[in-house]
Amino acid sequence: MTALLATENLTMRFGGVVAVDGVTLSIGERELRCLIGPNGAGKSTFFRCLTGQYRPTSGRVLWRGRDIVGLEPHAIARLGIGIKTQVPSLFDGLTALEGVALGVRRLHGEREARRRALAALDRLGIADLAGATVGLLAHGQRQLVELATVVAPEPDLIILDEPTAGMSAEETAGTAALIREMSRDHAIVVVEHDMQFIRAIAETVTVLHQGRVLVEDTAPVVLSDPRVHDVYLGRPPEARQAVPA
Amino acid sequence: MDAILATGIQALTGIASLLLVSLGLAIVFGMMRVINLAHGEFLMLGAYSAILAVEAGVNLWVAMLVVAPVCVGLLGAVVERLVIRRLYGRMVDTMLATWGLSLALIGAVTMAFGNSVAGFSAPLGSVQIGAYSTSGYGLFLIGATVVLLLAVWMVLRFTPVGLIARGTMQNAGMAAALGVPTERVYALSFAAGAAVSGLAGALMAPFSGVVPTMGTAYIAKCFITVITGGAAMLAGTATAAGLLGSVNTIGTFAFTPVLGEVLMLGVAIVLLRLLPQGITGRFFRRAL
Amino acid sequence: MERRRAAFQSGLAVFAAAVAAWWLPQVLELFSIINATVYTAMAVLALSLALVWGFGGILCFGQAAFFGLGGYAYAVGALNVGDTTWAIPIALLVPTLAAAALGYVMFYGRISDVYMGVITLTVTLILFNFINSTAGEEWRIGAAPLGGFNGIPATPPLNVPGDPGTPLTPEQIFVVALACLAGCYVLCKLILRSHFGRVVVAIRENELRASLLGYDVRLYKLGIFTIGGAMAGLAGMLFANCVFVSPTMFSLAYSGQIIIWVMIGGVGTLFGPVVGAMLLQALTAWAGTLPDINPNLILGLVLVVAVLAIPRGLQPTLAGLLRRREAP
Repeated sequence: MTALLATENLTMRFGGVVAVDGVTLSIGERELRCLIGPNGAGKSTFFRCLTGQYRPTSGRVLWRGRDIVGLEPHAIARLGIGIKTQVPSLFDGLTALEGVALGVRRLHGEREARRRALAALDRLGIADLAGATVGLLAHGQRQLVELATVVAPEPDLIILDEPTAGMSAEETAGTAALIREMSRDHAIVVVEHDMQFIRAIAETVTVLHQGRVLVEDTAPVVLSDPRVHDVYLGRPPEARQAVPA
Repeated sequence: MDAILATGIQALTGIASLLLVSLGLAIVFGMMRVINLAHGEFLMLGAYSAILAVEAGVNLWVAMLVVAPVCVGLLGAVVERLVIRRLYGRMVDTMLATWGLSLALIGAVTMAFGNSVAGFSAPLGSVQIGAYSTSGYGLFLIGATVVLLLAVWMVLRFTPVGLIARGTMQNAGMAAALGVPTERVYALSFAAGAAVSGLAGALMAPFSGVVPTMGTAYIAKCFITVITGGAAMLAGTATAAGLLGSVNTIGTFAFTPVLGEVLMLGVAIVLLRLLPQGITGRFFRRAL
Repeated sequence: MERRRAAFQSGLAVFAAAVAAWWLPQVLELFSIINATVYTAMAVLALSLALVWGFGGILCFGQAAFFGLGGYAYAVGALNVGDTTWAIPIALLVPTLAAAALGYVMFYGRISDVYMGVITLTVTLILFNFINSTAGEEWRIGAAPLGGFNGIPATPPLNVPGDPGTPLTPEQIFVVALACLAGCYVLCKLILRSHFGRVVVAIRENELRASLLGYDVRLYKLGIFTIGGAMAGLAGMLFANCVFVSPTMFSLAYSGQIIIWVMIGGVGTLFGPVVGAMLLQALTAWAGTLPDINPNLILGLVLVVAVLAIPRGLQPTLAGLLRRREAP
């Protein structure tokens, strides 16, 4: 079976810096995958290579087996990939409903788009914000509106870049529950560095370190792996292996 | 041989003039990311102040090299205080306001001096190269441009003021955090850019004739040069002026001056299509 | 609610235009009628930039280029074809194609906003210089000499469709101009209500988000820019019918004025720029009668003061004031 989304040896260089170094991974239908790593591990660069905002230096990105490197961001979105950026990217001058409906309108008629947009807002518990101007909302609310914008068109794959950044503990817990629920009908990739959050949602976790895949396994295994702790504490992972357990 | 030399000097004069008229704009844009649409009028005012000074009996060289930059530099300081400072960070509003200023200056100068062409003829006579003669003033212009460029580069590279300026240019927020008075740096940069424009306008006056609308003849060229140059203000403007000036000169020789300009614009658009960040976005990235 | 308001405003605009078309020719002298036609043409021009800049978020410093192209295309077409009715599609087609070509280079070349302003400005200047240099006999298109800085004084007016021998009277041309203005206003409203228009506005709000939702930002920008170019061309055609075409149509002063109209009226509104165009035309005309004052000085100062004092423009500022008064 071909994976929904796969990368093969994906590499991105900026001058002499190799931000993403030969990353190969694959995500199946309805999979929930977490991509974690400390700051500077190359998560965001990897993310931008997937969304078409960067063109990788080498390697391939495959969508259902088809190479999509070089496609414009809008063309990648059209394949059925919903993307949430790290800093909420929203239509500040429109109301929440208008903004959410706009994304659905590409696929459905006016009335249906409105209906689906309202349903998405409702699903995220912010139906009461439908008429509010997005630019005036608080940060946590904006995160939720963006999630609604991404989910409403029912993409096959949802990529979330640090969805809980700037959220309160309560909002984070709510978002975790929500992501678990969404993963029943969508494949989801979450790029994060908050381990607590990962613990709450993850099934499979891929850890990036210095642009490479350090380890990839189920959440409990990864979270108890000493190498992962090392990289988060800033120690080189190899140092540990030299010491007998 | 002589023909090649004469043509070469002609082309160099074209490049030097382009660099000269663009430099003030490049300083302001490079330092402050402000697009000054009144740049052409700063040139025009430089030319007028030189003419007025000459008419008042001031020595021609003093009028061009001292009076013009001082007058326009002062005007720049005033404009910065009254308009630019209130609009920092609002790039489009700054463009609009400086455009308003440009129209107002054209109007004011037309009221004061009328629409007729003023000017003074080029000093220094002509220089003989074999069978060809070339204007001595053209040679002076090339020399003056080189000296000016070197002077700006040395100020930026070797003086404490230059260091502060470079720091502000790289990262204004960080510079401010380190105690650099960025407001004063900006005020100074704008005044300096205006002074250079004034000097350029005065130096170009013998070539172009002086009318209130002379700025509009230059502004397009200046913008294209600075923007094609990219982020590094001196290296970028110099390389862009070299490239576009040559294209313009060739076009002018081969066809007409207007077609020369059209050709230059075409080359600039193609270049921007290939290098959206300008020439120095790709090459000479570490230059000034 | 939103839909009803737009319909109401469109209806009101059509009604106002109809009243003006019926009443003004009865009370105004010939000279004033021609002037009123010029004002109307300028209002169409203002609308074109209001759409491109206010809703598309594209600051075009060269709207005058499409205005001039429309005027020249009309004049050249009319002189060559004879029946001036056929010159209208030419007057629309040329600026539309020019806008599409320029827009393609800019939007597909990923040129940033500020550089876009500079490029549109430069293209306008080059056109201005070019048209100015077409004085000789060798510069003619078919039967139409381009005339350099003199322009084409013999620009023929529109005639009754199908009857080249019967030109429209100035009153009739005024009515045509009003119909165009009302039509453009309604067209703008329709565009903004359509899905296309909403995407355009959404792109103004956030380009990245729009493209992440699957909209090709370049295509939408190109679309709105081209529509704006066509509308400016229509304005040029109307202008050619009351004055005649000359290189000043491409001049910086014109480009500047259009921006001032929209700026004063309010970026992101339609009615404001129309009023702004009328007000500033009146101001310029008045300034022109002052013996010692250059109109450029006044226009320039108005723009500087407007940017500093009412950056949002008249319509939003006034609407804000009214709302504050209503609220306790």
